[in-house]
Amino acid sequence: MIRQYEKEISWKAGAYAIGVHLALLAALLISFNWKAAHPVQNIAEVELWDSLPKAEQQPVPVLEPVVKEQAKPEPVVEEAPKPVVEEKQEEPKVDIALENKKKALAKKEQAKKELIEKVLVEKELEQKKALAQKKQLDALKEEISKDKPTKNNTADALKKLQQEALADEKSEGDKQAVSAKASANAGVVGDYINKIQAKIRSNVNKTLCGEGNPELKFDIALLPTGQLSGSPKLVKTSGSSACDEAVERAIIASEPLPLPADTSLFSQFRNLKLKFRPND
Amino acid sequence: MTIAVDNDMSIFSLVAGASLPVQLVLVVLIITSLFSWWYIFIKLATIKRAETGADDFENAFWTGGDLNKLFEGLTANRRKPQGMASIFEAGFKEYARHKQQPRMEISDVMEGSRRAMRAAYNRELDELDAHLPFLASVGSVSPYIGLFGTVWGIMNAFRGLSSVAQATLSQVAPGIAEALVATAIGLFAAIPAVIAYNRFASSVDRLSVRYESFMEEFTNILQRKS
Repeated sequence: MIRQYEKEISWKAGAYAIGVHLALLAALLISFNWKAAHPVQNIAEVELWDSLPKAEQQPVPVLEPVVKEQAKPEPVVEEAPKPVVEEKQEEPKVDIALENKKKALAKKEQAKKELIEKVLVEKELEQKKALAQKKQLDALKEEISKDKPTKNNTADALKKLQQEALADEKSEGDKQAVSAKASANAGVVGDYINKIQAKIRSNVNKTLCGEGNPELKFDIALLPTGQLSGSPKLVKTSGSSACDEAVERAIIASEPLPLPADTSLFSQFRNLKLKFRPND
Repeated sequence: MTIAVDNDMSIFSLVAGASLPVQLVLVVLIITSLFSWWYIFIKLATIKRAETGADDFENAFWTGGDLNKLFEGLTANRRKPQGMASIFEAGFKEYARHKQQPRMEISDVMEGSRRAMRAAYNRELDELDAHLPFLASVGSVSPYIGLFGTVWGIMNAFRGLSSVAQATLSQVAPGIAEALVATAIGLFAAIPAVIAYNRFASSVDRLSVRYESFMEEFTNILQRKS
């Protein structure tokens, strides 16, 4: 191992070597933050569950445009009455001012009889003008009032349509929920299990299962997307391994399996026990 | 996820959680690293001592003192002379012995002392070269040992991943981290070993050139004396 002449420094060298390794260990312990892995795992979990349900996304795009359409007509309705009200307020002021003027003028006329005729003519003219203005304003009012109901009518019609659409959706949703609740055991679930079995059966290579009428049982675990989580488990064999493998291949080939749109029913599909009679 | 809280990745838990081959690789690498550092410090000391010894001897030799006095001074010391001094001692002893015998051809005397010096030189060179092959092996092989441990650990990590339906990075990360510790230690053993080997090899080369040139010059001096 070491030479004779090296013995005197071997202890010192050994101590140095151990010191170097302790320094390395210290550097490893200090320079790395060894406990930094926790938040990443939590974020990953959240993402996994966000992307799963398909059926929940369908009502969302329907609702959003409805809300927008409701919001749009409102400002139109609000804008329309405002100018009308302002005009109404302005008109009486103008009339009162004119009447005051008229009264003042009448008093002055009574005082100054010489100017009566002229003033009367002026009055008449003014009254005519005022009447014309009033008529114009009335016409405008009528137009506006005519416009208003039409606009209101359209807005109302829109609202009604939207409400009807919403009501339809709600009724549909209610119907779905009701039907799901009512026929949770027999109806939809049974239909979809039949669909799943039909889809798988269409993929089975029946020639591999021979002449008889073998029966197989498979346990499969499903994801909400219709894909398999894990491989299907053979519970009851048909007797021939070729047939078992054919059915297993068919299960894998028929991914994604049909699932009901209502995600609340998925819990009944998470672990399915399927029976197959390939030669039926 | 409560598992995440318990999953602290300290270097001790990493090494303790590693599979057996990886742990073996780690142990082997730590032992080789310890030995290579030990040899590095030993070689540093011995080569330094040989260089200072050669300097001291050359100073004493070329100051022009009496060769007999120098020889007596070396042999009077209880310790066996080392390095250049031992070459001088071997050559001069042989020369003195041959000189005492009558009717000896001068060429035979020179030949004998030359052979003695060559033998001493080979012994010295052997001592200077000691442990250098070990450092060279450590420098070239320990990265591969570390890589082996890493590959094994990563294989294990991915094999464990295959049985899980939904693969996440957190399931492989500890396995890969513990596997990479093996590469890190392999490199920690290899890099200093390679650097030390190159440095010591060049130092030994320079010392051997000094020894050889001293042998030639001393042969000339002896030939002039006789």
